[in-house]
Amino acid sequence: MTKLTLTNHPPVVIEAQSVTKRFGGLVAVSSVDLSIREKTIYAIIGPNGAGKTTFFNCISGFYTPEEGEVLFYGKSIKGKTTDRIAHLGISRTYQNIRLFSQMTAIENILVGSHCRYTNHWLDAILHTRRYRREEAESLAKAHDLLKFIGLEGLGDNLASNLPYGAQRRLEIARALASNPKLLLLDEPTAGMNPQETDEMIEFIRSLRDNLGITILLIEHDMRMVMGISEYISVLDYGMKIAEGTPTEIQSNQKVIEAYLGPGAAALQEKFSRGKDE
Amino acid sequence: MKKNVTALQKGLNTGITLGVVMVFLSLTAFTVVLANIIGDSYRPTPVTYGFVIALFGFFGGLMASSKRGLPNDDWKNVLTSSAAAGLIGGVILAVPLAVLGSIHLNGTDLRNYLVMVSPDVMETYLFGIGLLPAILITVIIFAAGAILGGAFNKGAARAEWRARWMANSQEKIRSAWQAPRVQQVVAGRYSKLFFMVGALLLLFLMPFVWGSYWNYVMGTVGLYILLGLGMNIIVGLSGQLVLGYVAFFAIGAYAMGLLSSPEPLGIQLGFWPALLASILVAALTGILLGLPILNLRGDYLAIVTLGFGEIIRILIKSDSLTWFTGGPKGLRAIAQPAIFGLKFNSDVNFMHLILVGVLVGVFIAYRLQYSRTGRAWLSVQGDQTVSRATGVNTYQYKILALALGAAFAGIGGAIFASRNQFTGPEDHVLMVSINVLCLVIVGGMGSLPGVILGSFVLKGIPELLRDLTDYRLLVFGVLLVVMMIVRPEGLWPTRRPKLEKQHLSKYDPDNDEASSEEVSA
Repeated sequence: MTKLTLTNHPPVVIEAQSVTKRFGGLVAVSSVDLSIREKTIYAIIGPNGAGKTTFFNCISGFYTPEEGEVLFYGKSIKGKTTDRIAHLGISRTYQNIRLFSQMTAIENILVGSHCRYTNHWLDAILHTRRYRREEAESLAKAHDLLKFIGLEGLGDNLASNLPYGAQRRLEIARALASNPKLLLLDEPTAGMNPQETDEMIEFIRSLRDNLGITILLIEHDMRMVMGISEYISVLDYGMKIAEGTPTEIQSNQKVIEAYLGPGAAALQEKFSRGKDE
Repeated sequence: MKKNVTALQKGLNTGITLGVVMVFLSLTAFTVVLANIIGDSYRPTPVTYGFVIALFGFFGGLMASSKRGLPNDDWKNVLTSSAAAGLIGGVILAVPLAVLGSIHLNGTDLRNYLVMVSPDVMETYLFGIGLLPAILITVIIFAAGAILGGAFNKGAARAEWRARWMANSQEKIRSAWQAPRVQQVVAGRYSKLFFMVGALLLLFLMPFVWGSYWNYVMGTVGLYILLGLGMNIIVGLSGQLVLGYVAFFAIGAYAMGLLSSPEPLGIQLGFWPALLASILVAALTGILLGLPILNLRGDYLAIVTLGFGEIIRILIKSDSLTWFTGGPKGLRAIAQPAIFGLKFNSDVNFMHLILVGVLVGVFIAYRLQYSRTGRAWLSVQGDQTVSRATGVNTYQYKILALALGAAFAGIGGAIFASRNQFTGPEDHVLMVSINVLCLVIVGGMGSLPGVILGSFVLKGIPELLRDLTDYRLLVFGVLLVVMMIVRPEGLWPTRRPKLEKQHLSKYDPDNDEASSEEVSA
């Protein structure tokens, strides 16, 4: 860490080195390289079935890549179980919201902070000092998070009874409760209207600005991706076909072809030339 | 919402359903048993049997005259519907009565074909009079009951005067409750303590008063509460559908038996060390069972653990293990508790022991349920994959749930063996697992009051209704089906704690402001 801070660049949080994941004969992710520096908002985009979520799952430990290496602050996390990875400081949300629906909102956040506390079943039965301290501490923190996501006063409602947007934010709050260094967001604005999307963009920015968390997200909504991310990688058929800043990506021929089909780039060129004349 | 049908159609639908159910209940002689219970005798009389028929008719009338599906709620519709239900139900019931009645009157013993239908039962069905009058009477009584049911529903249950009366009396109760003097007593500093001491004293004194039969029944209920508490941790909290729960009960009972009985091992430890050993051995079994099944879910888990329960029972019974387990004849002369050398083995003593066990068990289960551990279990039940990715070591928590749940079963088994002075393979059949699972489901998954209520409903009431022993499975089945339709969340569903409210009440508003500023800064 100290060595890295000597340079001007912030340290690399997560680094994927030629990560490959196969399902039988299908190569879902094919030797993808990626490296994300601290406090960046980084986006992965690509057409449907490009392997974005599979790549996400390789980082968060749901899958173990067949080849390649995943480094978190320079240490390999490949093959570690998901709970260990969460403990190290990576947490995530899901494309389709996956809250613990039979628990209240605040309890969901408390489960999120589970790995930061150590009291066990005997402490719970005997109400030891450690139990009381940790319980009060985690509850206070959960309540602060509840305020942060604007759900104060709704904490005792069952998670499944909250409105859609609130559930999305609650899922992020659950992920935040473990004090992550890296937050993986899988389509955080899926199913939201433009106004909700704008609010979510602000919210994600505030995570980075106020809490100093590095964010890696998958997103389909181009307006959102271009508006929020500082760096973008594009996947297609499991391979990384481009990476760069939003403006670089917007004018990248390969990306346009991947999204709109071959020939589209040429067409676009023609149109833009037509405009110039 | 159902589409509206005419009153006649609705009545016919209800009547057909009820008629078929009635035929089934008559063929199994359930109606006669009910008549016996109502008449409090061993022989049914035409009067009590007629009353049962009318009762079912009444019920049919209630169903047929419910608002749902009726075009409108006027007297004509209500009466048409309930009368139709009563008539068609009665006619359906009359068909087998005619067939069986004529066979019976020819002098054939129907028990050759229908085990439950003895000549006595047949005579009851025929009201001791001829075939044709009996059929007529059956239909008339059934229809009359149904019409009465419909009229009751419209005229009393749904009537305006009743609603007014209910609201009125509720208001009266509320104002009496809120009277300053009552509130003073309830909210007083010592009243809570006073009530608790009173309740404990009552629990302590009851076993002396109500006699050994009640001690036996309530003791059984208490043991099932203990089992239910353990099962609730495994199924209700951590969400593992373990069907071989009886194995832990058996291991508790056999650990107690083997360590304290003179035969076959001759170790003869005292009750208390053997109790401790039973708990530990059961918990250890829970851990050992947990290891191979960690990655199984749902149906697969249920089947594997079902097999585990059977394996344990068959091992206990096995002839080749007789030198170790006593084989099919079981274990005798199991130690009974003593306190400072004083014997502690009367039915009252055992009742007290079970009461203490239940109180301690509820206390432990309660504290576990609302702790970090309990939340981790609930999250595993909700979504195991997500729970793990959120940082919960799901393997560890699943095994912990099995160990603690098994420990509860171990205590239950040990006390059970000691109370009976005997335990054998037949005490540990699959039915025990199913009973415990049923009581957890009927009470409400994950709910502690539900476990207690479920034990009373499923163990206490059948013990008291001895006449219904033959129909226990039938009653269970019907009860479960009805529960799933009417109250799928259980009799006393679980409620999550109001943690945010609790947190806010602990800190005054000024403090709260400060902490919110910290976050936004």
